[in-house]
Amino acid sequence: MATATKKPQTPWRVSTQAPAKKKKSQKAPDGAVVKSLNGNWGYLFTAPFVVMFLVFGLAPVVYSVYIAFFQWDPLDMTHTFVGIANFQRVVADDQFWLAVRNTFSIWALSTFPQMLMAIALANVLRNPRLKFKTFWRTMLLVPNITSVLAVAIVFGQLFSRDFGLVNLAREWLGMPNHINFVSETIPGHIAIATMITWRWLGYNALIFLAAMLAVPNELYEAAAIDGASSWRQFTNVTLPGIRNTITFVLVVGTIGGLQVFAEPLTLAGGESGGDSRQFSTLTLFLFEQAHMGNWGYAATIGIMITFIVLIISGINFFFTRRIANGENVQ
Amino acid sequence: MKKLIARVAATAVALALPLSMVAPAHATAAPVTISVWTYGNVIEPQALIDYKKIHPEITIQLKKSGLDAHHQSLITSFLANKTPDIAAVEVSYSGYFRSYPQYFTDLRQAPYNSGSIQSNYLPWRWAQGVGYEGTVFGIPTDVGGMEVAYRTDLFKAHGLPTDRTKVGKLWPTWDAFFNTGKLYQKHLSKAEKASCTKLKVCYGFIDNAGTVYNAVLNQGTQKYYQNDGTKDGKLIYATNPQVSKAFQTTANALASGVGTNINSFTNDWNVGMNKGIFATILAPAWMMDYIKQQAPKTKGKWDIASLPGGGGNLGGSQLTIPKSAAHKSQAWDFIKWYLSPAEQLAIFKKYGLFPSTSVLYNNPALKNYKDPFFNNAPVGAIYGASVQTLHPIYEGKKERAIDNIIGQALSRVGLKKQSAAAAWAQALNEIKNAVG
Repeated sequence: MATATKKPQTPWRVSTQAPAKKKKSQKAPDGAVVKSLNGNWGYLFTAPFVVMFLVFGLAPVVYSVYIAFFQWDPLDMTHTFVGIANFQRVVADDQFWLAVRNTFSIWALSTFPQMLMAIALANVLRNPRLKFKTFWRTMLLVPNITSVLAVAIVFGQLFSRDFGLVNLAREWLGMPNHINFVSETIPGHIAIATMITWRWLGYNALIFLAAMLAVPNELYEAAAIDGASSWRQFTNVTLPGIRNTITFVLVVGTIGGLQVFAEPLTLAGGESGGDSRQFSTLTLFLFEQAHMGNWGYAATIGIMITFIVLIISGINFFFTRRIANGENVQ
Repeated sequence: MKKLIARVAATAVALALPLSMVAPAHATAAPVTISVWTYGNVIEPQALIDYKKIHPEITIQLKKSGLDAHHQSLITSFLANKTPDIAAVEVSYSGYFRSYPQYFTDLRQAPYNSGSIQSNYLPWRWAQGVGYEGTVFGIPTDVGGMEVAYRTDLFKAHGLPTDRTKVGKLWPTWDAFFNTGKLYQKHLSKAEKASCTKLKVCYGFIDNAGTVYNAVLNQGTQKYYQNDGTKDGKLIYATNPQVSKAFQTTANALASGVGTNINSFTNDWNVGMNKGIFATILAPAWMMDYIKQQAPKTKGKWDIASLPGGGGNLGGSQLTIPKSAAHKSQAWDFIKWYLSPAEQLAIFKKYGLFPSTSVLYNNPALKNYKDPFFNNAPVGAIYGASVQTLHPIYEGKKERAIDNIIGQALSRVGLKKQSAAAAWAQALNEIKNAVG
């Protein structure tokens, strides 16, 4: 069992192990056999995960790296080896760097306002005097279980230029100029960020709420006795208490942000991401190239995305460590 | 576990036994499920009901996806060798698949002998299902055709004639068409004009002048590629005068402001159709049904006039049988039935998909067919005349990608983000990067 506990525990793995363990105990009477097999059984128990990972995880990665060195049209019988030409092309490709900019712009617009709102919402939900707590918490999760495509289609209608509700509401508020969300860069990014925020706000608020509930009540009581206002309590007790969770949400949000796909695809109505490619995110760009029959180039873009994720993970790791160290000092 | 295996095995035997005993005796009546992959409304629901009456033993399993998603999953299915029995290939993708005829059943060969039915079909539509080396990999479904659908009530209110022959005579050429548009715009009310300058809804003559591009391009004899007998064809997009002419004509139209810049098949387009924001749409035959569905209250207010510069086409598909299909003979039976002149006529009457079987074009049932939604226009005769003026055009390998890039360039011109010259230069550059 030693091999099994070393691996990260996932519910799926636990469930596959359980029946196998029973089998082993049934065959137990001959102690010597079990002993000699002990080490090897471990391999069998981990096999389901390892096999799945090799087939669906590692093999595609290796294959992608392989075809990144080719000009690879999927239906061709032979493929031309082009060396590092695809990598040279991607570094010089304006469309790739545009996709990088778009991805980060949408990420920033969706992550930071969302964090502030989620913390504020969680703070409201934390209030002990709030009625129907379970109801509010359940409601917060509803957007999260809605299909991404349905969200994108509905929001696409809300943001349409001539008869969209958003533009009609602006008109009603005394701003008669219609904004063409589908064609202008920053308004479009805001529209996409709105969809993402709508979908993930409640989820993140619940995570913050859980973190806030873990802050010991004594700290609040002590602060109250010292005469701290509720704002001071929030900034000096709540925020430091949930610092690690803020980092966690930021990391998860960044991973999600680099994969933004369905929202820009639906709003732009095409794989190229709008007339000036203003919605072309990294994943959408990869998808577009693959569908043009440039699998080699698409694989190269995939590798570039991996590098970008690695760099960002490094930055995240650096900050997380600093925060953790800072806490130790306290 | 053993028990489970035993049970599965027993069930399998139980299922297989009766089948193996029955199958040889009633070979023709054995139930068969054929899988059909399409997009949009290539296979209309009524056809499936009708076919079930003739062949109760055949179940047709229809899988519909979006246009791009459908063709991409078809490519994946070729690679995985798990193909459907019938797959639709749209014209913008037929250029791609004609480079790979080895993945399709060659329908020229026995027992299909497509040569025996070829004379029923429009020659240029038939050619869209022929591989680069002559293989027939698909049989044409409907033909787009293209005409001008216009609102008679709006034409009258804006000082234009309403009779379809007179309207057609207004625009023998594209320039005349845009000049008519300018006349129309002059009669817009003050409020309508002000709406546009305030960046609100723009009222216009045509829904989107960008749609002119495809119409002009298809009136030529060549597009982006030239057939030189090789697998990938020869790229001529940069030198073909028809491409730059279509681009320039469209850019001029966009600059003249006769369009509303509402993109087809968007929410705004559907609303605009109902509200009379625009008075004309360049409409292929299959779009008539879309207009009926989206704007039922405008019934009788529409009419159809001929397209400037001759005939036009947009869209159309071929039905193909992939090489590794499991039920080829049943698939062929269905294709032959569904794309036969008689069935195409029935589908046209019900759904407006215009037949690709040119033998029908002089048939009174088609020629005299009038559509009340379009002010009793003889749509059969009008679309029939249109599609017969077109020439076969070689559809090239990455045409879909090139179309998209040029479409974006024209969209930038329409939204005044770029000048026509700059947009054209950028498009050429992007095409070069994308297809070489």
